[in-house]
Amino acid sequence: MKIGLEVHVALPTKTKLFCSCSMEAAEPNSCICPICMGFPGSKPMLNKAAVESALGIANALHCSIKKEMSFVRKVYFYPDLPKSYQITQMEGSIGSGGYLEIGDKRVRIRRVQIEEDPAQLIRDGALTLIDFNRSGTPLVEIVTEPDISSEEEMRSFIGSLRSILYYLGVDINKEIKADVNISVAETRVEVKNVTGIKSMIESLRFEIERQTEAIRNGEEIAKETRGYNEKARSTQTLREKESDEEYGYIFESDLTVFGTEGLKFNLPVYANEVAKELAKGTDVSSRTVSEIIMLDRDSLAQINRLRGRHGLRSIIHGIERYKKYGSMERMPDRVLDSIVLLIDNGKEVPKEAITDLESGKDAKVEYSELSEEQLDKLINEYVAGNPELINEYMKQPKTVNFIIENIARPNGLHPKVVARRLMPILNRIAESR
Amino acid sequence: MASYIREFNEIEKPKDYYEGLIEGIEKLNGTYDAFNVINKSARTGFLFSTKANICVKGFETDAGSKMLKGYVPPFNATVADRMLAKKDFSFIGVTNMDEFGFGTFGINTEIPAKNAFDSEYVAGGSSSGSAVATAMIKYHVSVAESTGGSIAAPAALNGVVGFTPTYGSVSRYGLIDYANSLDKIGVMARSSEDARIVFDRIRGRDDYDTTCSVEKISSEKKSRIFVMDSMLSKADQKVRGAFERLLDRLSRDYSVEHVDSATMEKAIAPYYIIAMAEASTNLAKYTGYKYGAMSQDFYKQYNEFFTDAREGFGIEAKRRILLGTFIRSESVKDKYYAKALAIRSMIMHEMDRLLKDGYILSPTLPITAPKIADARKLSPVENYAMDLFTIPPNLGGFPHISFPYDYIDGMPLGAQLVTGHGNDYAILDFVKEWESSFNYTYKHNLGEL
Repeated sequence: MKIGLEVHVALPTKTKLFCSCSMEAAEPNSCICPICMGFPGSKPMLNKAAVESALGIANALHCSIKKEMSFVRKVYFYPDLPKSYQITQMEGSIGSGGYLEIGDKRVRIRRVQIEEDPAQLIRDGALTLIDFNRSGTPLVEIVTEPDISSEEEMRSFIGSLRSILYYLGVDINKEIKADVNISVAETRVEVKNVTGIKSMIESLRFEIERQTEAIRNGEEIAKETRGYNEKARSTQTLREKESDEEYGYIFESDLTVFGTEGLKFNLPVYANEVAKELAKGTDVSSRTVSEIIMLDRDSLAQINRLRGRHGLRSIIHGIERYKKYGSMERMPDRVLDSIVLLIDNGKEVPKEAITDLESGKDAKVEYSELSEEQLDKLINEYVAGNPELINEYMKQPKTVNFIIENIARPNGLHPKVVARRLMPILNRIAESR
Repeated sequence: MASYIREFNEIEKPKDYYEGLIEGIEKLNGTYDAFNVINKSARTGFLFSTKANICVKGFETDAGSKMLKGYVPPFNATVADRMLAKKDFSFIGVTNMDEFGFGTFGINTEIPAKNAFDSEYVAGGSSSGSAVATAMIKYHVSVAESTGGSIAAPAALNGVVGFTPTYGSVSRYGLIDYANSLDKIGVMARSSEDARIVFDRIRGRDDYDTTCSVEKISSEKKSRIFVMDSMLSKADQKVRGAFERLLDRLSRDYSVEHVDSATMEKAIAPYYIIAMAEASTNLAKYTGYKYGAMSQDFYKQYNEFFTDAREGFGIEAKRRILLGTFIRSESVKDKYYAKALAIRSMIMHEMDRLLKDGYILSPTLPITAPKIADARKLSPVENYAMDLFTIPPNLGGFPHISFPYDYIDGMPLGAQLVTGHGNDYAILDFVKEWESSFNYTYKHNLGEL
């Protein structure tokens, strides 16, 4: 089985690829100008930030970088394409001949190309409305060779790609759009415009089953383009194609050639490799580390920061506790320090402790963690030994805080943990009186 | 006469000068159709017009096409911005042209402009109206555009100076594209100095046009003039005779050398292949739902909608869209387009070598102005052959200037001088020198003081 992908990713620039229109989502047709509307006489102006971003991606995918890249016009008529041609790249693509490693295998990257997104079409009854805000959004298209040979490999490929792009500042979670080419036997079937990772996997699964079934029944598989229906979770024929589409590519002479030397770009982080390095010589598996850092540069930074002082297992445990109970997007160093320290000292870190640490109350408090039986025993002993305080409480309920403090502090317990077990006991005493 | 612009600024104008002049222009335009739009509110400075493919905010700019009927650009072309930056120039109007620049005679549009010397004759194209307006009005320049000879040809037939600068020295932002790698904005004027003043005003880098990168312009005078004999033999006898007389006069000051070129005379085919291929992509945007001629019926399937919306192109535009689309198709691309690019680069290389040593001089057109009725009878290939001399410098982006040098039967003749990239001032200087001993003849002198 051969699977090849053409993945489209939106680049995180402030302005569009060929004009200075904003990319902020807004009212339909509010972020437009003569250039992204393709008005007569307008000319494209290449956005350097988009080129730098694409350069980072091409470099991360081990592509050879064109010293002088160029663009082509891809001509077709569709209402979302204001110039009736899309400015994209072919032979002059910024990157080519690269690869992405998944496990022991290399999936070859044929091309990394920069192109503009068309406008967005909105169906409205019998009419189609056009929102040109999206027109001219910078995209990168990553074209692979048909080197992927199973659903598992495709998952792995998308996972790694997503992680690489994440560390380059490109989030593809929702934005990703792909054409999936699948040949179970000889004939290539293209599923076009699949949106989102989930749909990519599902469309692949459906096609593998459909094509396998057809082969089993001795049917011929047609060379065709299919579409993916998210609701039905199936693919349908869009058009049969005997030969490739005719786009009449021609050199985009409005942009001439663009030198890429001397441009700045971000260097890649390969989370799988980093995880292997980090896990080496520890009792943590590289897979565990990898899962944590794949899409989380904050965790990676914290691991690197704390690595010399604490064991990897404690750090990861601490990060997991914070991710579960903490409130901030980025973990505050001070809070995480305390958490990992507690873990290193063999203490459990309950939610309350993290809440306290976060509000800056008493970062150094170390709370003991007792089983419910141990805790109940402790509370019952205290209640039995201090009848006058209990009597006081029955008259003035707010004195309960004093009782809680008296139990919690000497035992290194969190007041809230004490309160949770103490209240039912006090209630039972009150009822029996 | 050195500069009409300078002369105009020094002379006292009567109070109602502009009102009278505009009235005169409107009247004459009834016969010659030089202008598509006349700006009646022009009241200060020296008049300039723009070809109908250069966007001027607020004025209908239809590029001579029904597809853009009623299109009023919401922005200025960079050249319009630069002309209007001070109050010393005033915009007088939009000039007539062949549809999208497709033509040598100015007749590929609904109402063609007529030759300023005789309205039965063609004005030349595609910047037909710019040349006629310049020949009609004494104090006026026109910002025009050339892809394969569209400034030189009409300038020659109307007896004015037509200057086409080095490709990339003047911004094309706001120029409605014909063929992006060939289009150049230039100037028509009654004197070389005026052309230079306007050139200096509009040229120079522009962030809005990536290809506009030529900043330095030189004036390197050459003492040798090259004449291509084999190409000259294709001109008609009258033109050849007059041109020989011109060479005789020039041989007093220059070394006139007859050379042969292996590639230059083969320029027509690669030019039309490249121009049509590019044009067919540029014309794809006219689909009747964004600007210009708008479709009335939106309840159609896409294919049907686009087919109907694109009916409004003229016959020559349709021919170039079809041929250009064919040329770009995968199965023949190498056979035509790739080969054309290769020949283009050979021609550029050969001309570049030659132009280091001297100028290339030729008649601008191989014939004198034909009557409009006769020009209409020519086949497309006969039409394209008229661009024999103007295509090589245009294909290579070399600066060239057409200047009047003789009159046959009362109709002007133009010669075309070519120099190397960036040496634009040299040919402007050459023509200035020529003008000092040549008497221009005009039939009209609107606005004369």
